[in-house]
Amino acid sequence: MGEKAVRTKTKDQVLTDRVLETPVDRYQLKFRRKLVIILVIILILLWGARLFRRFLVDRPVDYSMIEEHFKYGSIGSEPGGSLFYAVGGLLPPYWIFKALPKICPDKLPGGYASLGFIFESGRDLPIGVSKRQRLGFEQVGLNCAGCHTGTYRDEPNGEPHIVLGMPAHSLDLQKFFSFVIECSLDERFNADNVIEKVREVGGRVGVLDRFLYRTQLIPRIRETTRQLNERIQILLSGQVPAWGVGRVDTFNPYKAIQFNWDLKALPKEQLTGASDFPSLWNQRPRDGMQLHWDGNNNSVDERNLSAALGAGVTPVTVDHPRLERVRNWIWTLPPPKYPYEIDPVLAAKGRDLYAYYCGSCHDFDGSEVGRVEPIGEIATDPRRLNSYTYTFAANQYTLYPDSKYRFVHFRKTNGYANQPLDGVWARAPYLHNGSVPTLRDLLEPPERRPAEFFRGYDLYDRKNVGFVSNIAGANGQRFFKYDTKIAGNENRGHLYGTKLTPEQKDALVEYMKTL
Amino acid sequence: MASDKIFEPLKFRNLAVKNRIFRSSISGRFDNYDGSGNPARINWEEKFARGGVGAIISSFVPVHIRGRIMPNYAMIDSDDKIPFWRKVGEKVHEYDCKYIMQLSHSGRQRDVPGVENFMHKALSSTSNKDTFHGLLCEAATVEQIHELERLFANGARRARAAGLDGIELHASHGYLFTQFLSSAINDRKDEYGGSLENRARFLLEVIRAIRREVGSDFHLQVKTNAVDEGSALFPWEKKGNVLEESIRICKWIEEAGADAIHVSMGNIFPHPMMPPGGFPIDEASWWYGNMASSGVRGYMNYTLFHFKVLRPIFLYLWNRSKKTRPVEGACADESRAVKQQVGIPVINTGGYQHGALIRKVISEGYCDGVAIARSLIANNDLPKIIEQGRDLPERPCTFSNRCLVNAMANPLGCYDLRRFNGDHEAMVREVMTVFHPPPFP
Repeated sequence: MGEKAVRTKTKDQVLTDRVLETPVDRYQLKFRRKLVIILVIILILLWGARLFRRFLVDRPVDYSMIEEHFKYGSIGSEPGGSLFYAVGGLLPPYWIFKALPKICPDKLPGGYASLGFIFESGRDLPIGVSKRQRLGFEQVGLNCAGCHTGTYRDEPNGEPHIVLGMPAHSLDLQKFFSFVIECSLDERFNADNVIEKVREVGGRVGVLDRFLYRTQLIPRIRETTRQLNERIQILLSGQVPAWGVGRVDTFNPYKAIQFNWDLKALPKEQLTGASDFPSLWNQRPRDGMQLHWDGNNNSVDERNLSAALGAGVTPVTVDHPRLERVRNWIWTLPPPKYPYEIDPVLAAKGRDLYAYYCGSCHDFDGSEVGRVEPIGEIATDPRRLNSYTYTFAANQYTLYPDSKYRFVHFRKTNGYANQPLDGVWARAPYLHNGSVPTLRDLLEPPERRPAEFFRGYDLYDRKNVGFVSNIAGANGQRFFKYDTKIAGNENRGHLYGTKLTPEQKDALVEYMKTL
Repeated sequence: MASDKIFEPLKFRNLAVKNRIFRSSISGRFDNYDGSGNPARINWEEKFARGGVGAIISSFVPVHIRGRIMPNYAMIDSDDKIPFWRKVGEKVHEYDCKYIMQLSHSGRQRDVPGVENFMHKALSSTSNKDTFHGLLCEAATVEQIHELERLFANGARRARAAGLDGIELHASHGYLFTQFLSSAINDRKDEYGGSLENRARFLLEVIRAIRREVGSDFHLQVKTNAVDEGSALFPWEKKGNVLEESIRICKWIEEAGADAIHVSMGNIFPHPMMPPGGFPIDEASWWYGNMASSGVRGYMNYTLFHFKVLRPIFLYLWNRSKKTRPVEGACADESRAVKQQVGIPVINTGGYQHGALIRKVISEGYCDGVAIARSLIANNDLPKIIEQGRDLPERPCTFSNRCLVNAMANPLGCYDLRRFNGDHEAMVREVMTVFHPPPFP
């Protein structure tokens, strides 16, 4: 019999009475207790299944159209691995990534667009940033399109045309990484502020999220960023020449991030290696050629996988099927046609000059195309070549061990490779380091090439073939001032065609619009 | 109509009844809470005696307080109840009507336990709860079984001492005897469970104990199931005894010294097939509250009855197995099968009302007499109406079963408004006639 009591307070006394139980009451209590326990177990199991699904699912956002996949699809650059030992990824989760410019508004007043990221209407992420559910959160990562999608515009006030596979000549990747790192280490990057800003940008932060933000996510981001910063700070802090827009130092962050090299111990000269983003189209005929600016690899696939490492992919997190989808598409992606009028007569004149002066090195069927021109011969800025060392190549062979992806094609070379010039009109500025703004300038001897110019504007210069480079800013944006006197930025070398007459040079340039 | 088979006397070994219509056992909460009788019960029984039935089988008369279905039922658990029952018998005899006391024990089927019982579980053959209301119980020990046998023998002795004409053992409808007999309920491992012989042992021992107590010259009949149909309500329950097993039991009952068999069916009560007819879900919603705390499924049932959106669930379960049987003479075929196998008279119950049908079943060897309850509640003088050559009363019973559901809370009577042309006051007036004449005129 139950011994619970009910108390009734009256003016003069407190009445108490026991609450009794019959066998039916006891049975029902027992049954309901069982029911509650079963319900609680079911709820726990459901909750567990939900957590299991949330934290263990690896689900990229997929796109049926290959162009959309190229622009926004994942290649595995988001953080992955296990919950307790996350690896890879250079960016914070989706909502924090969106909130980051609000957390540190002084560091990036113009938002990600001001760094040269291309935003399409109706999209909250720029081209080149993918989304994927991993480790319990929606993560973001960089993909191929970030560095290999560019724009041009016809008029100063015209709308930009987006060209997939074109070098991202306006993107300041170095500033982007600097911003993400600096903001993640800023004192404002604390749980309270991050949660508040995430909510401001429309993110839902539930109880579990709040707990995870405080105990896991924010501390982990700060710690991994601290470690990353420690490794590559020397590349981001002005101690080496700025990469500027449209360029990346491919291999030095690679040395620090993939192999944990102490960059401070390397000769300063080896830390200067910024070079232009290349185009991605028409890869099939390039397979077997010496790829990368210095021709250090002749496998398109291995080169792709290596480039993906630069976007934040690791051998653990890489998404081979989705990367292969991009690979298959760029295999035959045609170069963009020159979008403006071409003088056919002038171009015809230029064709012969091209065949004589350029074809052997730059035509797909040229005898020297895809081969390395010794540095003594080509005589362009040698820093990029020198930043890639034998030791580094040896280290690269340790990547993707015991798999069919193992790196075996990297070689140290002694010059820069002759590139096919398909779609060359869209690949300005020119030379490996982007030190010459237009094709017409490239045909001038180095002393007559612009010593200083501005990079980042996408207004097309139809006369000289390249982008307008004599304007410091437009549409509220400041462009990067490129100084050819700085180490790594030199515009010397590649003297081919510099001795032609101005008319011949004009004709040659007119013809090159057709490539 | 001297040639009418219905009105030929029925002669048992120890009893002769003037005609073949018996008032079947029907209760009603008329008596005092403690089980002592009161004048309303006498008024009630007199209605039927006056109406012309040959014999009345009493209400469910518990032989012990622990075996009571619900309070306000007159009991036969002690000698001090004998004078009351004597009065009942005398009143009925005034109409040349016989009175047979139904000796009963609810077992686990204790619909409203009352203050005397609600703190302990009911006795049964099993410790498994009842399937309909979830009424709790515990299996009787062998010692307790022997005590139960003595209780029945004493009840029989008291009935005889009260001058009544006989006794009926209520071994159908899911009460204590059924709980031993039915293979769907009895899960004992001792000599009172398992084989059919073992399951019948308790009933047969009671018959023998009664014969030892009152002799062989006192009328004793047994109301028993022809079929259990244990899965009629919930399809996942066991089916229970089938006709062949019941016939064997009936033969053993005869051999043990019973004078008649009263054939019914269903191993719970009410059962979808017994009493046949409708299920007044509105009445259930109003009155089932009395039973809500009796069993562990009470609140669930009450919820099903109460919420209109849930009612179809219960009605589907309740009605799904009714389609195979008629409302009138619901188990007449089984009754005939029993009658063909036993040498003692057989009474059959199950929704009889039409004179022609009653005549047919008696004439054609289905049974020797019929036991009627609801049709007689609607028309107490049904025998006289039939005797006058009419096949049906002017306002016949509708078999709505409203009387059945009201019985758990209200004075028993006909609660079908249609029979009173929608006049609620007239209906209530009719029901309350059981209290007339009043105790203190």
